[in-house]
Amino acid sequence: MVVEVHLHTTLQRVEMGRDRRRLLMELPPGSTLGDVLSQLEIKLEPEHLLLVINGRSAEPEQPLSDGDIIHLIPAISGGS
Amino acid sequence: MDPIGGMKIWRVNLSRQSLDIEDVPETWQYLGGRSLLARVLLDEVPPTCEPLGPLNKLVFAPGLLVGHMLSSCDRISVGAKSPLTGGIKESNAGGSTGLHMTNMGMRALILEGQPTQPEWWVVHLSLQGARFDPADDLAGLGVYETARVLLERYGKKVAIALIGPGGEMRLASAGIQNLDKDRVPARINARGGMGAVLGSKGVKAIIFDDASGKKPPITHPDAFKQAQKAYNQALMGHPQIAIYRDYGTAGNARMCDGFGGLPTRNFSSGHFEQVEQISGEYMREILLARGGESEPTHACMLGCTIRCSNIFGGEDGKAIVSPLEYETIGLMGSNLEIASLDTIARMNWQVNDLGLDSIEVGAALGVAAEAGLFAFGDGERALELLDEIRRGTPLGRLLGSGAGMTGKVLGVTRVPVVKNQAMSAYEPRAIKGTGVTYATSPQGADHTAGLTIRAKVDHLDPIGQASLSRTVQINVAGYDSLGACTFAGFGFAAAPESIRDLLNARYDWQVGTDILQVLGREALRLEREFNRQAGFTAADDRLPEFMIHEPLPPHDAVFDVPDEDLDEVFNWL
Ligand code: SF4
Repeated sequence: MVVEVHLHTTLQRVEMGRDRRRLLMELPPGSTLGDVLSQLEIKLEPEHLLLVINGRSAEPEQPLSDGDIIHLIPAISGGS
Repeated sequence: MDPIGGMKIWRVNLSRQSLDIEDVPETWQYLGGRSLLARVLLDEVPPTCEPLGPLNKLVFAPGLLVGHMLSSCDRISVGAKSPLTGGIKESNAGGSTGLHMTNMGMRALILEGQPTQPEWWVVHLSLQGARFDPADDLAGLGVYETARVLLERYGKKVAIALIGPGGEMRLASAGIQNLDKDRVPARINARGGMGAVLGSKGVKAIIFDDASGKKPPITHPDAFKQAQKAYNQALMGHPQIAIYRDYGTAGNARMCDGFGGLPTRNFSSGHFEQVEQISGEYMREILLARGGESEPTHACMLGCTIRCSNIFGGEDGKAIVSPLEYETIGLMGSNLEIASLDTIARMNWQVNDLGLDSIEVGAALGVAAEAGLFAFGDGERALELLDEIRRGTPLGRLLGSGAGMTGKVLGVTRVPVVKNQAMSAYEPRAIKGTGVTYATSPQGADHTAGLTIRAKVDHLDPIGQASLSRTVQINVAGYDSLGACTFAGFGFAAAPESIRDLLNARYDWQVGTDILQVLGREALRLEREFNRQAGFTAADDRLPEFMIHEPLPPHDAVFDVPDEDLDEVFNWL
């Protein structure tokens, strides 16, 4: 399956050429959001990240489906 | 014991052109900023009065921690009965005004009365007293030119609060501008028409000259230093700070879009196809590439270590506007389908120079586009419409009167306002906790009253949003009472005892760790009471009807937080 990943602010990277903030990832069936994080070697702890799948907040354990749109946003919990 | 270190209330009467310096009444002593001005307004202004008439008063109140160059804590609250909402208003800004006020020993400045003749004045305040200088020669001048003339006239060391042509015309979207640390007049008490109230009193500008003033006293300097250190460490160690330093608030554009909550084409979609071109990430790239006067990282006040602000330079590196913030990008960008940061920056400069709130005017333009006054995406036409405001044409004045009025006159019902004040750049159908804040805040729709987007919740789920909004509304009303920038909240949230310790050290108080919430609850209680006496009811604590039944792409979300939940937000009262 293929998912679309949007990397925000400090997570964007230079080595991907022009399209540094948005990439398509091919993943084996049954992959989770956590697999995306580890494949991208994202060092931030999940509590310092807002994880969003198709517009909804998500947890690393969440399984992914083909065509999912994922946003990885460095941020912290706490309302203000 | 003097619990506030000798600070006073300065009362300027514009009918008599007089200044009285008074002791702070006992019931005002433990309040500051937003909570203090709510107390003053409730005590002294009839809630049913005409906002632009002689009975309304305009209050400037620095927060409780202002004056010590504590990072990001020198903000002021400016408030009055609002000509936009008809209710109480507190509008918050950074810049140098707060620091000058506390150096002069001002706990609050109250402007009252109204001159009988249509004349313009500059009110000059110093430790020698007040002077009222004729200022008819400044009438009609834009904010930037007015500030330049005033700095020449009064010297480069003063702080200035001033209005532009919008405030002179008493437009309900007119704000009050303050100088930043580089003397650029762009730190704005923008919301709710405070500039119109200052204009109604015949005041073009207030000069705060703190010559031979001094920092307010600290009762226990060592304890203060220690608490300051704890706060600084918590702030600097915070991962969020680097993001705001590098990307500023503009980093929110892609975040909101990711949640399907970026207001687009007059709040008809939560996703903007061209979000990349208005993103904070892209802005940083072009500012670094353009160089010259451009600066992706800039502080609005002395001593701020976060520096979330920026200077937006054009292709030639010359500054177009400073700062360019997310709210303006949302309301004048995606909301109008304008995907050019350069165009948005030029519009932002115009609106600043007119002395207007870019959120309110952006929302009014969105409504105007919906009515067919111009095509979404036509930035040049949008700039022409801003010129109508400058020329004071009826159409220009309509737009300057805000989104609510524009919708009424043009027959549009998709109008994103609560209590007649425009929403900021977070779509409440997608970020429902913020929708609860918009609906219930005594301030009208205002993200600064309680933004919930950073909470780890499902923002599309109506359950639990009211209690989330309640917590955040109380906390920010507390921060607004301290004079702390919301971003200072990152540090205080990580070291909550530092608030208690700073206050106890400065004032020799014995407050507990819940002081932030105590102040916040008191501010909200007073504000609700003012509005109640002004005639507001639960029916005013609602979002506009279209948001209840019109599904918002991309999630087809409607605002479905039950009314009962909205009515429970202030359940401790
Ligand atoms: S964080 Fe930004 S808004 Fe807050 S005080 Fe610093 S520069 Fe000003």
